[in-house]
Amino acid sequence: MIELFERADPASHVEVDRSSLRAKVDDKVGVAAPLIAGSSRRRPLWLIVAVSFVLVTALFVPVYFRQERQNFFQQPIGGIRGPGIEQVVELTIGGVKSMAVDGDTIWVLESLGPTLNRIDAGTGVNLRSYQLDRYVEGVVAGGGYVWLVSYDNGGEVLRFDPDRGAVDLVVGLDGLPGSAPIWFAGSLWMSNDQSQLVRIRSDGELVSTEPGSLKGEGLGYLWVNDPATDRIESVAEDGSRGEIVIQTDGTVTPVGSGIRQVIEAGGYLWLMDDDFPNGTAVTRFDPATGELEPLTLGPGLHGMIGFNGALWVILHYDHMLVRVDPESGEVTRYPLPGKPGQMVVADSSLWDVLFHPQALIRLDPDDGLLEAGEVVVETGADSGHRLLCTAPGAGRLSDIPTILLEPFDWIDYGSWSVIQAQLNDQGLTVCANGFVGVDATPAERASSLQRALVNSGIRGPFVLVSNGDGVHATRLFAQNRDDIEGVVLVDPMPVGFGSAFADLLPDEFGSGHPPWLDLPQDIADALQGFYDVPLVVIGQTPEAVFFSPMFRESVGDDKAKKVSDLWQDGLDFYARLSTNSRTVSAEGGGMEVIYWEHPEIIVEQVLELVR
Amino acid sequence: MSKASPDQDKFRRRFDALFSSHHQDVYRYCLRRLGSSEAEDAAAEVFAVAWRRLNQIPPEERAWLLGVAYRVVGNYYRSRRRRIRLSTRLQSAPAQVPAQVTDEPRLVLGALATLRASDQELLRLSLWDDLTRSEIAQVLGINENAVDQRLHRARSRLKASFEALTEESVQVQTKGASA
Repeated sequence: MIELFERADPASHVEVDRSSLRAKVDDKVGVAAPLIAGSSRRRPLWLIVAVSFVLVTALFVPVYFRQERQNFFQQPIGGIRGPGIEQVVELTIGGVKSMAVDGDTIWVLESLGPTLNRIDAGTGVNLRSYQLDRYVEGVVAGGGYVWLVSYDNGGEVLRFDPDRGAVDLVVGLDGLPGSAPIWFAGSLWMSNDQSQLVRIRSDGELVSTEPGSLKGEGLGYLWVNDPATDRIESVAEDGSRGEIVIQTDGTVTPVGSGIRQVIEAGGYLWLMDDDFPNGTAVTRFDPATGELEPLTLGPGLHGMIGFNGALWVILHYDHMLVRVDPESGEVTRYPLPGKPGQMVVADSSLWDVLFHPQALIRLDPDDGLLEAGEVVVETGADSGHRLLCTAPGAGRLSDIPTILLEPFDWIDYGSWSVIQAQLNDQGLTVCANGFVGVDATPAERASSLQRALVNSGIRGPFVLVSNGDGVHATRLFAQNRDDIEGVVLVDPMPVGFGSAFADLLPDEFGSGHPPWLDLPQDIADALQGFYDVPLVVIGQTPEAVFFSPMFRESVGDDKAKKVSDLWQDGLDFYARLSTNSRTVSAEGGGMEVIYWEHPEIIVEQVLELVR
Repeated sequence: MSKASPDQDKFRRRFDALFSSHHQDVYRYCLRRLGSSEAEDAAAEVFAVAWRRLNQIPPEERAWLLGVAYRVVGNYYRSRRRRIRLSTRLQSAPAQVPAQVTDEPRLVLGALATLRASDQELLRLSLWDDLTRSEIAQVLGINENAVDQRLHRARSRLKASFEALTEESVQVQTKGASA
C-alpha cells in the first residue's frame, strides 16, 4: 500500500529546469540584497522556533455574550456541516466560555454552568463532563494538568488533574483574574486585576509577582503591557524582561486603546486592538526590522490565532473568519453560519466556537468554505450596514433573478453562508443583507438594502428570502416593486408576536422581542401583499416546538397552546399574502433554525422559483 | 556601475548555495501539489521569500523552505479557487474518482483525494517529499508526537479508502463483464 503510494508520486522523476527557475527567482528578488538582511536587529533565533499555534483565549467574555438570550429548546444544526465545515460538535448545555487544547483533547468550559468538558479532537466526541464546585472563567493546559481560573475567594487558580478527574490544588492569585492564562516555560502565567504578572509553577508554588498585564505569547516570549510606560515588552523564559520593547501608545492602535491580544503567526507578532467591539485593527510587528504596520479589518475583533502559517481573526459581529497573509497582508473573508467566538487549533485543524447556534465547528477553509470575496457593500451613511454579495464561479447563469437574503435580526447576514454557497453553486448570484453591531428597524433594513443595491449596480429581478423577523423588512422592500419574481418566507414571525409572547410568558423568557424589530400594526395593515408573485412559506409545525416536552414543562399546556396558535395564525396570514402561494412544513425544524437544520429545504424552494 | 559590498557578495553567495542545494526539492514539492503549469512560479516565490529572510533561516534549511512552500501553495489554492471555485469543488469531491479506473497508482491517488487536506499533506510530506518526522513537525508547526499519531491515522484512512475504491472498481468490472 505504502509502496504503491510512493510509486504514484507524480514528481519523483521530474527534473526542474534550473536556469528557468533561477531566472524567475532573480526576476522576483532583483539584484541587490535587501537591507533587512544585513540589519543588526535581526534575531534569527526567533524564526528557528517553529510556528506555534498560540492559544490565547478571549477569556473574559464581555457581558454582552452572557446577556444574549438562552435557547429554550435544543437546536438541531446538522445542516451546517458541508464544504469547509468538516465537523459540528453540538453543545447541549449552553455555549462555550473558554477552551484549551492539550494534545488531541479540547477542554471546553461551558458558559452557563461550572462544567468542564473533555472533547476528543479526532472524533469530536465529548468524552466526559466534569462538574466543578465553583464558576471558572478561563482554562489552559500545561504540565500534565488543566488549569482553571476563578473569581472565587478574591481570585484563584485551580489545578485539575485529568487522570483523577478532580481539582487537586488551589492557588490564591492576590487579585481577581485579569487576563487569559498562558502556559509558558513550565509555568502558568497570568495577570490579575492589579496589573500584576503572576507566575505559578506546576507544583503550585507562586514563583513571582511583578507589574505587568499579560497580553499573549509569541516568538519565544511572553508579551506584557507595562502599566507604567504603556509599552508592550517581552518576557523571556528565565523571566527577564524588556529584551524587545514595542511602543504602543498612539502609534500602534488606531483607536488608541492599547493592546488586547498578542500572538505569533507567519514569523511575525500580531497585536490586536483593545476595546471590544470598537477596535478595528491588528498590527503586524516585524521582529527583523522592528516595523509596525496596522491592518484595518473592521469592528468586532474578537480574537486571533496562528494556523497554517497565516493569521486568522474572528469578526464577531460580521460572522466572519478572516485570513490574513502574513507577508502580503492580503485579506480573505469567510462568513460563518453563526456568531463566532474563540478559536483553537487541534488535530491539525482550526476549530471555532459558534454562540448561535451553540456549537464547536471544525473548519477547513481550503475545502470550499464560502468566500466573501470583494463584494461586501457598505452603504456609506448607514452605520453598520452590510450587503454581502457572492457570485457563482464557472456555470453562472444569465437572465435569472438575484437572490436577496434577509436574516433574523440577531443572527444576521453571515448565518446564510451555507445556503449562500449552495445557491452560488447552482449558478445564482446571492446577496445577504444585514446590520452589525447596531439595531435597525425593518424600515431601515429595507431602505439600506435598496441603497446598497443601487450603489453596487445590482438590478432585479429578485427572489426574496427571509427568516424570522426578517419578514418585516422583506415585505417593506417589496412594496411597489415590479421586479420581484418570487418570495420565500422561512419561519416568518407574526406581526406583534414578540410583545404577545412576552405578555403571555413574562417571567419565563425575559422581555421577549425588542419592539423596534417588529412592524407597527398600522404600518403592517397598510402594506400590500405579494399579489400573484409565487410565494413559499416554510415553517416548522408549531406543535413541534411549543408542544415539545421541554417547552410544555416550562410554561404549561395552556400557554403552550396559545403560543402555538399565535404562530400558526401567522403562518396562515403570510400564506394568504399571495394568490400563488404554497406552504412547506419543515418537519423536525424549529423556530429560527431551519437554515441550520435543513438548509436543503430552502435551497430547493428557491431553485424551484428561479426555474 | 556600483560595486557590490562585501556583505552583499557574501549574501549572494549564501543564497546561491541555498538555491543549488534545495531548488529541486522545492520545485518537486510545488509540482506535486500544483501541477506543472504553476509549480515553477510557486517555487520562485518560495525562493523570493528566502531571499528576504536569508539571515533568519535556521540550520534546517530544507524544512524551512518547504514550510514556506506549504504556505505559498496554500495561496495558490486560494487564488485558484477564487477563479474557478465551482470546478475546484467538483475536483475535490470523492465522486470524481472514476470507478472504471483500475490501475493501482491511480486508485491510490483517488483514495488520497478522499482524505482530509491535512491528512493528504502529511502523507505527501512523509512519502513523497521524504521528510523526517522532525522536518514534518517544523513544516506544519506541530510537535513530533503529533506527527506520529496523525501519520498513523492518515495511513489507516488511506488504506481504508484505497480498499473501498478497489472493491468498487472490481464490482464495476464484474458488472461490465457480465453485461
